[in-house]
Amino acid sequence: MLKPILLVEDNPKDLELTLHALEKSNLANEVVTVRDGKEALNYLFREGNYQNRTQGNPAVVLLDLKLPKVDGIQVLEKVKADPALQSIPVVMLTTSREEKDLLRSYQLGVNAYVVKPVAFKEFIDAIQDLGIFWAVLNEPPPGSLKSGKRN
Amino acid sequence: MNDLTHAQPDLSICDREPIHIPGSIQPHGVLLVLDPVDLLVLQASSNTEERLGMTHQQAVGQPLSQLLGSEHTTQLWNQLQRAPLRARPALLGSITLRANHQEQTFHAVAHQTDGGLILELELAQPEQRVDIHPLVDAFTLQSEAAQTLAELAKRTALEVRRLTGFDRVLIYQFDEDWNGNVIGEDGSGRLPQLLNHRFPASDIPAQARELYRQNRVRIIPDASYRPVPVHPTNNPVTSKPLDMTFSILRSVSPVHVEYMRNMQTASSMSVSILRDGRLWGLIACHHQHPLSISFPVRAVCDLYARAFSLRLSALEHASDFERRLSTRSAFARLLERMTESGNFAKAMTDHAESVLSFTESEGAAIVTAEGCTLLGHTPTQTQVLKLTDWLYHEIKQDVYSSDSLSSVFPPAADYVDSGSGVLAIAISKLHPSYILWFRPEVIQTIKWGGNPNKPIEALNDQVRIHPRRSFETWKEIVRNRSHPWTIAEVEGAAELRNTIVGNVLRKAEELAALNDELTRSNKELEAFSYSVSHDLRAPLRHIVGYAEMLREEAADKLTPKEARCIATIIESSEYAGRLVDKLLNFSRLGRAELQCARVNMNSLIEESRINVVRDAEDRTIEWRIADLPAVHADLMMLRMAVQDLLSNAVKYTRERDRAVIQINYQDRGSEFVFSIEDNGVGFDMEYADKLFGVFQRLHRWEDYEGTGIGLANVRRVIERHGGKTWAFGEEDVGATFYFSLPKPIKIQ
Repeated sequence: MLKPILLVEDNPKDLELTLHALEKSNLANEVVTVRDGKEALNYLFREGNYQNRTQGNPAVVLLDLKLPKVDGIQVLEKVKADPALQSIPVVMLTTSREEKDLLRSYQLGVNAYVVKPVAFKEFIDAIQDLGIFWAVLNEPPPGSLKSGKRN
Repeated sequence: MNDLTHAQPDLSICDREPIHIPGSIQPHGVLLVLDPVDLLVLQASSNTEERLGMTHQQAVGQPLSQLLGSEHTTQLWNQLQRAPLRARPALLGSITLRANHQEQTFHAVAHQTDGGLILELELAQPEQRVDIHPLVDAFTLQSEAAQTLAELAKRTALEVRRLTGFDRVLIYQFDEDWNGNVIGEDGSGRLPQLLNHRFPASDIPAQARELYRQNRVRIIPDASYRPVPVHPTNNPVTSKPLDMTFSILRSVSPVHVEYMRNMQTASSMSVSILRDGRLWGLIACHHQHPLSISFPVRAVCDLYARAFSLRLSALEHASDFERRLSTRSAFARLLERMTESGNFAKAMTDHAESVLSFTESEGAAIVTAEGCTLLGHTPTQTQVLKLTDWLYHEIKQDVYSSDSLSSVFPPAADYVDSGSGVLAIAISKLHPSYILWFRPEVIQTIKWGGNPNKPIEALNDQVRIHPRRSFETWKEIVRNRSHPWTIAEVEGAAELRNTIVGNVLRKAEELAALNDELTRSNKELEAFSYSVSHDLRAPLRHIVGYAEMLREEAADKLTPKEARCIATIIESSEYAGRLVDKLLNFSRLGRAELQCARVNMNSLIEESRINVVRDAEDRTIEWRIADLPAVHADLMMLRMAVQDLLSNAVKYTRERDRAVIQINYQDRGSEFVFSIEDNGVGFDMEYADKLFGVFQRLHRWEDYEGTGIGLANVRRVIERHGGKTWAFGEEDVGATFYFSLPKPIKIQ
């Protein structure tokens, strides 16, 4: 059974567009969507309303940087600090180009970083590439960071 | 005429003469020293026999009543008890005695000393019965009406002469060196005029001045007198010669008597004018023939002197006030201009007249770390800088003034015509910053009352002084001096200094505040950038995204026009997105720190070239690239600039069947100049200055796409590297863009 893709996105429009993009890439993976950082952590750590979910980590986490309650950076930090979760590839999705966020994400060991392009085609391409790359390969090869980074 | 700038008469020997203990008196009275308790005679002048009918040998040891009779003695005793201040001579009354078959009237004057009570019986002149009240009244009116010192001096001299009948009355003022200047005179014409003449300090030696300060009235009725010794020589109580400081009959120095004879005066009187306890001057009276002035009249003269002093104070305060007022208004004008401009040096340069009128100077200089500005008539810049250097290292005063600069700073002798006098204020403690005012030399001619060098004679190894014999006008020229700086001017300059220093401090504070403000607005700008980046990009993306979805979903149903509308929405929003990205990039370029390293220009150009031709694969472009030198630059930034320039070259040659792009460089010693030349559409040189501005476009939108930020970015990158950007173009021929990059300074 394919591992699901965890999509963490608070903006409903971005959520719809991202799901549209993933849909178009014809991935077989289930896409689990959560709307804030807290919910993402609950899912990953099987806590709260996700305490009864089936075991297993997602194939990839597509994580928006700016999130309500718990920030994307904080989610990343917790994931990368947990021995059971740290091997999950995390892709940061963001609107921002601020170096500070970029730098901090790299320091925390993000696997890829995508500034959501304004052009829709590029956006679709970026999401599809991410999905295909991480979900189909299903295991992140070491040193894969470079090939996963776009734009 | 003689030039005697530095000549100093040496008459120090005069200063040592013990004039307060001459051991003798003048003969116009009798001196008795009495035991203050039983009035026994302790000492007596040797003329008692002639005046009182008893030899001094007999008198000493006798009670006073034996000499004057008990009635007079009791009268004097009673008066003495009432005398307010026994240390100073007090008039006890007049007594008439009969001795040697003739009657004589005396004024009895007494004062207390360490050696006993000194009783002096001064012969009264029967003819001196003047009604002094109208005279005193006249004097008071005259002095009150006087508006200047000269006027006051003249009127006082006149009134003293009316009161006393002396042939000549002088008002004599000491300068700071104790030379005397005659500032007022009234005379009968029998003695030579001495108004405006100067007398050297040695004419009235230090101990005489001290004596004059204490004993305010001295008289010599007849300079040809024979001194009358006091017996015994030593006072029996103190075993020392009698202290006659306050004695009215005290015999004067033989030098002084000789001086008087040389001055052709037989009689003299001087009354001290004191100001604030200090000897300010004298009322000096001379008479061709012997002349006695009674004690009561002398007391009135003393009163005149005191009134003179009071009036003088009032006049000086008034004139000082006026000077201050005028200095103040000039000061206020200067200040106003300084506050307006905020830059004191500039304000002073722009309003030279106010600067000069402030101190009534002919020249001024402003010396700051930035340079030296001269206003009006001044020494040269080099001379001024040497002077400020000296002020800074040697004088070290906030405010300094001199009316004879060359006497303390010899190099100033070279520019006495502009800078004999200087007033300077220090603006900074850290470096020699000064404002200086200059005054030129004022050659003064001083009329001395005779040559001030008294001849000194040596006799049998003993040095004896003769006062000069001639009092004929003797002119001296004083050089290297300017008009003196007034207290008001020096104080005004000090105040100006405080203001300027305060201004400088205020400026520094303002600068610090501005810096804070700048830091804050920079932070705000960063926050703004972020908000633009994040908040503006998202909706643009949504517009594009939803429009695309709409196009997909409704593709079959859309009319061509509807499809074009959606395409335009998408295109415009994408363009807006690129614009936002470029703007952010532009602002980041200004803020980001340069990370300079060696950059291989050949590979940078090649890398950029490959990037830009990707969008022009179908075109024929001939590249002519020279072998370029390495530079010292921030690779990321320079890459962006080069890429923008190359992409422009490719873009604007696209109408050409065969585009030619040449990349070259020039070594200009301290910098490299790179050029990118194309044979594209070019531009009108008229708009060359607009090329590098933000959002400046020289071509129609539909002809050449672009954000209008590219070249602004290039310029910003190059300027941050300390280089320059410029361009040449000709419409339809081509354009050449240049940028320079300074070579790094090699440290040997």
